[in-house]
Amino acid sequence: MNALPVPKPPRLQRAVRRAVSPALFDFWATRFNPLWTLEQPMARLLSRAPAGRDAVTLVLRPNRHWRGMLPGQHVNVGVEIEGRRLVRSYSPTPLEDGTLAITVKAMPGGLVSGHLASKARIGDVVTLGQAFGEMTLAAPRDDLLLLAAGSGITPMRALVRSLAAQGMPVKVDLMYWARQRDELCFVDELQALAAAHPRLRLRTLLTRDESHPDERIDAIALTSVDGLASRRVLACGPGGFIQAARARLEGRVARFDAEAFSAPALVDGEEGEVQVHLARSGRTLTLARGQSLLEGLEAQGLRPAHGCRMGICNTCVCGRESGTVRHTLTGAHNGEPSTQVRLCVSAPSTDLVLDL
Amino acid sequence: MARITNRILSAAELQSFGDELDALRARVTADVGARDARYIRRIVAAVRWTGVAGRALLFLGAFVHAVLVPAWILGVLCLGASKILENMELGHNVMHGQYDWMGDPKLNGKTYEWDIVATGDAWRKTHNFQHHTYTNVRGMDDDIGYGLLRIFPEQRWRPFYLMQPFIAVVFMLLFQWGVAIQDLRVGRWFAGKMKGAELRRAFRPVGRKMGRQLLKDYLVFPLLAGPFFLPVLLGNMVANGMRNVWTFVIIFCGHFTADAEVFPKETIRNETRGHWYLRQLRGSSNIAGGKLLNVMSGNLSHQIEHHFFPDLPANRYAAMAVEVRQICARYGQHYNTGSLPKQFGQVIWRIVRHAFPSRARAVRMPEAAMQGG
Repeated sequence: MNALPVPKPPRLQRAVRRAVSPALFDFWATRFNPLWTLEQPMARLLSRAPAGRDAVTLVLRPNRHWRGMLPGQHVNVGVEIEGRRLVRSYSPTPLEDGTLAITVKAMPGGLVSGHLASKARIGDVVTLGQAFGEMTLAAPRDDLLLLAAGSGITPMRALVRSLAAQGMPVKVDLMYWARQRDELCFVDELQALAAAHPRLRLRTLLTRDESHPDERIDAIALTSVDGLASRRVLACGPGGFIQAARARLEGRVARFDAEAFSAPALVDGEEGEVQVHLARSGRTLTLARGQSLLEGLEAQGLRPAHGCRMGICNTCVCGRESGTVRHTLTGAHNGEPSTQVRLCVSAPSTDLVLDL
Repeated sequence: MARITNRILSAAELQSFGDELDALRARVTADVGARDARYIRRIVAAVRWTGVAGRALLFLGAFVHAVLVPAWILGVLCLGASKILENMELGHNVMHGQYDWMGDPKLNGKTYEWDIVATGDAWRKTHNFQHHTYTNVRGMDDDIGYGLLRIFPEQRWRPFYLMQPFIAVVFMLLFQWGVAIQDLRVGRWFAGKMKGAELRRAFRPVGRKMGRQLLKDYLVFPLLAGPFFLPVLLGNMVANGMRNVWTFVIIFCGHFTADAEVFPKETIRNETRGHWYLRQLRGSSNIAGGKLLNVMSGNLSHQIEHHFFPDLPANRYAAMAVEVRQICARYGQHYNTGSLPKQFGQVIWRIVRHAFPSRARAVRMPEAAMQGG
């Protein structure tokens, strides 16, 4: 799958769509099969197998509304828990038969991960979002350095498998950090791939190993990676890991792309407050400039739609008619009117009018 | 009309009155979950099944002449019930965002589109925002007589209102159309305050919705019955009429009973949360009845609780009402409730009485309390 074109639905289907709302169609069709929706991508849980400590790998079969993904992309998975649909982003591995494998680590107190890891039953249905994320490799030319920490291995596994299927066209160094050995996932598979493809080198690093703890990304020697300056680096892990990797490597390699799965705490407190007018509900609120719009709005008792809370899934995107926002991760300002802002990673710099 | 006495609350009492209601709100909010999701999904199912049953019975009557009359009557009742449920317990409540916490796009307050000629977007503005924020505040809440009727003596009398008993009946029979054009503020165009082009632009989405609804009930479904076009069309018309009458009755009972009050604009200046609650209480009235009335009225039988907590799942109102009533009693505030005949009788009286010139009673409400005591 190289491109993900939006397929044009057949004429009959288009006619049906004009006359029948998804709510009406889905109500009746899902009586027969919970995957028979008019538009909503859904998936059925086919199997669950352990994968490392506290982690399981789930295999999902999507329905036809899901448009596929490129290795390295993320997908929002929604599960209903206590009446609420909770959405989390995962980086699945697309399997040859059209199914998806997602590896979920049960986080302490994690509602969704705990549910998927133990409570969800085979045959249960989840909602899917369309794939998103720029950490993909269309036609790799540069040699690669892949940096993964913890669950950050999941997009890397998908990338490495896809590169292996292409015969490993470039050199790939995969460095994979975990705290302890039993937390590592996919090690057997990755080692087998490395054995089969001499251009792939795997290094697992354990920061809390009792006998011989390894260095973290900020201090570890990278001399073993030949031609570092000409490599493209992809990194995925917690916010702190990504910040450290970026500080160490950005500008010193051919290209640096990263995705963090927990946003770093706001460093900067731009002082003071601004007026944020919500055009659709007609309300005007006073929000702090040092806080993301999502946090600010939630503190006022609103519940804007949101997903990842880290600026990648686009669920909380909303139209902005005017005003300047500051990106909380990059610090960049954007005052382009009539564009979209993601509430979770945008803090108000000036008074704003939002399409909420 | 029974006169009521509300104790004048001191600023501290108002504060704790609001705090007690806030605490109730917080308790229920924390408890909302699977039970409420199950409830609203059951309502969705009831809307769908009664709708299909109603339409099927209308067709059955059309094709099997032996059962034409009973099937037609039963079909109309089923379809009417479906439309009422969809309008009130499902549409109205979902559009308030009462079930937004579920994260189900089909039950999303911002996007839900209901099965009446009024657009969801216009309703979200006139109702969710204007009516619920400025409840019974003259000049700010369009729902006071819908710009058509004189319900309160505080509204200035004009000879036009002499016709209102007749106008009210027409308005009741065509209620969904009245709701549909409410936000267009046609009156401003008549008065020359709005340009024709502006009105046309505002009408476009409303017109689209009207066309769609007309097409569905008065063309597509009747055509499916082939030669029996007419009985199906009439059945749909009566079902829509049933809903018009019922929603009119419920909504008018909510704010226009004898003891319901209106407020001047000054009331909302620097309004505290306690004031806001008090205003909602004095402007609203409940209808006492059983579970069936609660469901069929979209729980607007608990208009007071709805106005206190418009974004909490309506299926909670009945249980909350017990405590709300106790709180009101503790603060010496009248809790306006009564049977449907009693409350609607008062509405009819208001419509008839205030068709004629009338004067507001002096000192109708304790001003001191409303302004912060």
